[in-house]
Amino acid sequence: MPVVRIPTPLRPHSGGQDRVEAGGATVGEILNDLGTQFPGLKERLFDGEELRRFVNIYVNNEDIRYLDDLETKVEPKDEVSIIPAVAGG
Amino acid sequence: MNAEKPDPLDRYSRQTRFPQLGVDGQRNLMRSRVTLCGCGALGTVLANHLVRAGVGHIRIVDRDFIEVHNLQRQILFDEDDVAENLPKAEAAARKLRKINSAVEIETVVTDIDHTNILGLVEDADLIMDGTDNFETRYLINDVAIKLNKPWVYGGVIGSEGQTMTIVPGKTPCLRCLIETAPPPGMTPTCETAGVLGPAVAVIASFEAIEAIKILSGKWDAINADLIMVDLWDWTFRQLKIANLLGKVDCPCCRHRNFEWLDGALGSHTTTLCGRNAVQVAVRLSEPLNFPQMAQRLAPLGEIRHNAFMLRFNAEGHEFTVFPDGRAIIKGTNDIAKARTLYAQFVGS
Repeated sequence: MPVVRIPTPLRPHSGGQDRVEAGGATVGEILNDLGTQFPGLKERLFDGEELRRFVNIYVNNEDIRYLDDLETKVEPKDEVSIIPAVAGG
Repeated sequence: MNAEKPDPLDRYSRQTRFPQLGVDGQRNLMRSRVTLCGCGALGTVLANHLVRAGVGHIRIVDRDFIEVHNLQRQILFDEDDVAENLPKAEAAARKLRKINSAVEIETVVTDIDHTNILGLVEDADLIMDGTDNFETRYLINDVAIKLNKPWVYGGVIGSEGQTMTIVPGKTPCLRCLIETAPPPGMTPTCETAGVLGPAVAVIASFEAIEAIKILSGKWDAINADLIMVDLWDWTFRQLKIANLLGKVDCPCCRHRNFEWLDGALGSHTTTLCGRNAVQVAVRLSEPLNFPQMAQRLAPLGEIRHNAFMLRFNAEGHEFTVFPDGRAIIKGTNDIAKARTLYAQFVGS
């Protein structure tokens, strides 16, 4: 099953886990499944049906925006990463 | 007998012997001009690296004053600087001039905003990110794209950080990557999540090495990825973002809509990273007269002031006021409240 890597600021909403298995054949399906498992995450990732603009998603190490966005296909061995914006300095 | 003047390159011998840099690269470095935006955690490490490496001119811009809790990670400051209430840019410059007197070091104690950023960067070859908020970063991004100047982004929190190098026309820009910043409260701050010195130093060092490549002319070696590290979990990732250039409908580098630089976006009141404090920025036509102000505020109790700042407490809040009219008001995150306090105590 594909694994979703959860960034530090969202781990309180994934039961503290940094890696969670989620089912689906596309990024959209996987994030939906993630949201079903952890409702707190869904709210932070999505604004209605749209991914929030400051949330970036990568499959393995590729940004989905130059792949197929939420339609990007995901293989069972792939990693989907949620990458937050880092403001501090 | 006349003593021979030392060759200015001698002190960089260990650097010029690195074959990818060489004497030519070093000479380019020594002619270069950098504007460093922010001289706190990232900024002090950046300034230290770039001055030691021998840039020609560095303009250090920072709005803030040193506090004791900065010393944990802001490597150019010490306890004497805290006691003297020095601005960060000034304290950094004093140290750096002792480190490398061949570098021209200019300090600007000011809040970077859309009215002044052009003047701060237009003569620079490179802009370095030592900031702690996205507003300023978007401003840097706008001006960099508009003026066709490279800049290096860095962000750090807790044990982790990210960096990306922006070369207009060759790489995606910051808005290609993150079109809008997370609203306050959606992301952790240094106050809630903390930040570790080594994480700061790592990210700033990544930024500095990119600066050295750019300023020495080694464009082929530049980082094309979004680098992410977590020093606690030992994660190191190179995220592929190069293809975002031209693919995303970027308001900045594609449409050349410089919303931050034009002042359409952005505020003059900002909550401060890692502190329960708000900065209120007001443009004055002439600097504040601190002795007069201290007299007026005397009924409140002790008013401390020097050439750089005036400080007092009122209603449980600590106020630090700067000659240009800016004030940092501690003990609140509420922008409206801060503006009210400012109006009440600092005045219009």
